[in-house]
Amino acid sequence: MARTVLLHVGTPKTGTSYLQDVLFRNRRTLANQGILYPADRFDAHFLAALDLMRLPWGGLEAEAVGAWDALAAKVRKHDGTAIISHEILATASRAQAGRALESLGHGDGAEVHVVLSVRDLVRQIPAEWQENVKHRHGLSYGAFLDQIRDPERATRIATWFWGVQELPDILNRWGHDLPPERIHLVTVPPRGGPPNLLWKRFSLAFGLDGVDLDLEAERANPSLGAPETALVRRINRAANRELNPADYRPLVRELLAHQTLSRRTGSPRLALPPDAHPWVSDVTSSWIAEIERRGYDVVGDLHDLVGEPPVREYADPDNPSEKLVAAAALDAIKALLLESARLRHNEERLERELLDTQLALERSYLRPTYRWREKLVRRLRGSSAGRGLLKVYRRARGRSSREA
Amino acid sequence: MSEDSPGVRRAWGWVAHLRAGGTTPWRDWSGAGEPHGRILPGAQQLELLRRLNEAGEAAPELATRVLEASAPGRGRPDLELEGAVPPLAFGPRPVDPAGLPDDELLRVAAGLLAEDVHAAGRREPQQPATRRWWRRGRYRLAGDVVLTGPVRADLLRQGRPPGGRGASVLVLGTDLATMYVHAWTARSLSVGAPGWREWLDPHVRRGTLPVRIDLARIARSWSDRVGAERVHIVLDPAELPRLVGVRRPLATPVPLSADATDLARRVGQALGLLAVPTEKRALLRETLRPRLAALPGPELVLPPEHRERVHERATHLRDALLRAGYPVHGDPDSLLPVDRAGAPEPSDAGVLALALRLLLEKKN
Repeated sequence: MARTVLLHVGTPKTGTSYLQDVLFRNRRTLANQGILYPADRFDAHFLAALDLMRLPWGGLEAEAVGAWDALAAKVRKHDGTAIISHEILATASRAQAGRALESLGHGDGAEVHVVLSVRDLVRQIPAEWQENVKHRHGLSYGAFLDQIRDPERATRIATWFWGVQELPDILNRWGHDLPPERIHLVTVPPRGGPPNLLWKRFSLAFGLDGVDLDLEAERANPSLGAPETALVRRINRAANRELNPADYRPLVRELLAHQTLSRRTGSPRLALPPDAHPWVSDVTSSWIAEIERRGYDVVGDLHDLVGEPPVREYADPDNPSEKLVAAAALDAIKALLLESARLRHNEERLERELLDTQLALERSYLRPTYRWREKLVRRLRGSSAGRGLLKVYRRARGRSSREA
Repeated sequence: MSEDSPGVRRAWGWVAHLRAGGTTPWRDWSGAGEPHGRILPGAQQLELLRRLNEAGEAAPELATRVLEASAPGRGRPDLELEGAVPPLAFGPRPVDPAGLPDDELLRVAAGLLAEDVHAAGRREPQQPATRRWWRRGRYRLAGDVVLTGPVRADLLRQGRPPGGRGASVLVLGTDLATMYVHAWTARSLSVGAPGWREWLDPHVRRGTLPVRIDLARIARSWSDRVGAERVHIVLDPAELPRLVGVRRPLATPVPLSADATDLARRVGQALGLLAVPTEKRALLRETLRPRLAALPGPELVLPPEHRERVHERATHLRDALLRAGYPVHGDPDSLLPVDRAGAPEPSDAGVLALALRLLLEKKN
C-alpha cells in the first residue's frame, strides 16, 4: 500500500506536459528515492484517466480499457510515495473522483493528496480556444467566448471549458472527501518571471526537492500567435471534410502547428479581448476569495491568478491581419513542401528496394532447378494421384501454407 | 454538498423515496430524510431512477447502480437539484430534474446498458458445419453488410464457407435509401457513428456514398482482381440460393427499429471504454442486437427532403453498374429509392423508453 499518493488532476495548459515528461523520463531515478511514477508509456496516465471517466477520445479509448484499475493496483502495491498526473482528471465527476480516491487507498491507509496547478484565466481562455482549434474545431474566437460566457453552459465547449477550468468546482469534486491541508494549489507565475520558477513550485508540491532529475524537456505543448491560430482554423474549415483524423494529427497539429507555426516569432500574441477583462476579473476575484476561505495549501501566490492587464494592441484572430496570415501560410506551405519532398525521397527509395527485391526473386525463378520443380508441380496437379502425392510431400516437409 | 440543511434533507428524502420505487417528481416532493451516502447523486441519475420506477419495478441493485453511475463521454456534468442547495457561485446551475432533456438521461442509461452487455458476454460461438467441398457454387459476398452478414452466417452453418478457386463475387444491394440506413446501422453496431442526421446529411448534400454501399466501386475493385465476368450484382435476394448452389431460401436481416438502432449506437460508444474493438463489435452484434431486434418500433427511413437527391444518386449508381456490364440479378431499377413507412429519424424519447425497458428486463 502506497503511504502517500500525490494525485495531480489539472488544470490543462499549466506546464503539465513538461512535468509529466520530466517524471516519465526520470522514473528510475525517482524509484531509487522510493517514488513511484507508474507509467510504461508516456500517455499511461492519460489512458487511465479516459478509463476512469469513460471518455471516448477519437478511438484512443480502445487502448484505455482497464487502464485505471491497473494503475491503481500498481499504486496500492507500492510501499512509498506514488505520483499520478493528468490534466483531464480535472473534469471528473464527484462519483468518479470518489472511485479514484478509494481505488488509490483513501480510507484504507493511504494518505492521498490532490494537487491542482492553476493559471490565470487571462491566459487560459485564449489557450483553451487555441487547443480547440488544434483539435480540428472551426469555431471562431468570438463564438467560443460567447459559449463560455453563457450562464447556461449548455454546449460541449462550455461544459468542457468550465469542467477543467473552474477551480472552486474542480476542488469541490476532488476535495469532497479530503481535509484542506491535503489539497495543494500550484500557481503558474506570471509571464516574464524566472524561467524555472514553475518547476520549483512543482518540485516543492511533489516533494522532489533534492532529487537529481534531468529537467531537459522533450515534450511540450507550444502556443501559437493570433495570425497562426487564425490560419489553422481556416485550414480546419477548408480541409476537415477530406482529411482523416489519423492524418490531421501528424500533418496539421504536429507538422504545421507545433513544428512550424509555433516557431514563428514576432507575431501578435493570442490574448483575451480587452472587453472581456472586467468579467474575467470578477470571476477570478470570487475564486481567490473562495480558495482563501477554504484554507488549501497554496504553492506560489494566489494573486498570480489575477493575470496581466489588457494588451495595448489587441490582435483579433477572427479579423486578423491578412498580411500576417499570408506570411504564416507561406511558412506552412514551405513546411508541407519539405515534408512532401522527404516523403517523395522515401517513396523513391522504397521503390528502388522493391525493384531490387523483384529482380532478386526473378533471378531465383530463372534457375533451372526452379523451372524443373515448377514443371513437376504443374504435372502433379493435373491428376488426383499427383495432388495426393503433393499433399503427402507438403505434410512431410511441414509446410503450413497451401496453394491459393 | 455535505452541509446539513432543510434542502439537503429534502433531497435525501427524495433519494430514499426513489430507492423505494417512488415516482413523485422532485418539484412535488416535500419529505425529508437522513444522508445515505457519500454524496447526493446527480439530478440526471435521480430522474433516470424515477423514470425507471414509472416504467416498471427497478430492483434495489439496479437503483444503486443508477444512483452511483456517472454519465460516460462528454456532456453536462452531474448536476445539483434546484432547491436542494443554495444558489452556487461556482459550478453548473442546479436544475429541476424533470426539465432535463432525454438525451442527458440517455447518457447515463447507455453507460449502464453497456455494463450489462459487457457483463452478459458473448454468445457461445456456433461450430460451423463440416465443409462440403463437393457442393457447386463457390462464392464470395460483398456489398451492403447488413444484407451479406446473415447470408454468410447461414451458409457457414450449412458448411458452405465463402472463397475457393474461381469463386463468383456476389455484390449484394437493395434500394439506395435502405442502403444508407444499413450503412449507418452497420457503423453503429461496429466502429461507432455520429447521430443519424449528423451522419446522413453531409453524405446526401455532397452526393457521396459510404464505401460499404458504393456497389459500383466495390464491383470495380473485385473486377480488377478476378475479372468482370465473375462479379455479379444481386438485387433480388430470391436469386441468391441459385447463385450459391443451395435449394432453400437464405436468411435475411432481422430489422431494427429506428430507436433501437440509435440505442445500439449510444451503447456502443460507452462500450468502447469497456471492451477492445473486436470484442465490442461482437458484443453489439451477438449480445445486444438480438435483444433490440425483439423490440417493436418503426424502422428508420430516408427523410423526405433527401428523396430527390438520393434518387438522382441511385440513378447514377444503376447506370454505372449497367455500363460496366456486370450480370445483374434482379431489376436494376430496384436500386432507386421507394417510399416506405417508417421513422425519418430516431426520437430521444423513444430511445430512452427502450433503454428503460432493457434496463428493467435485466433483473439483478
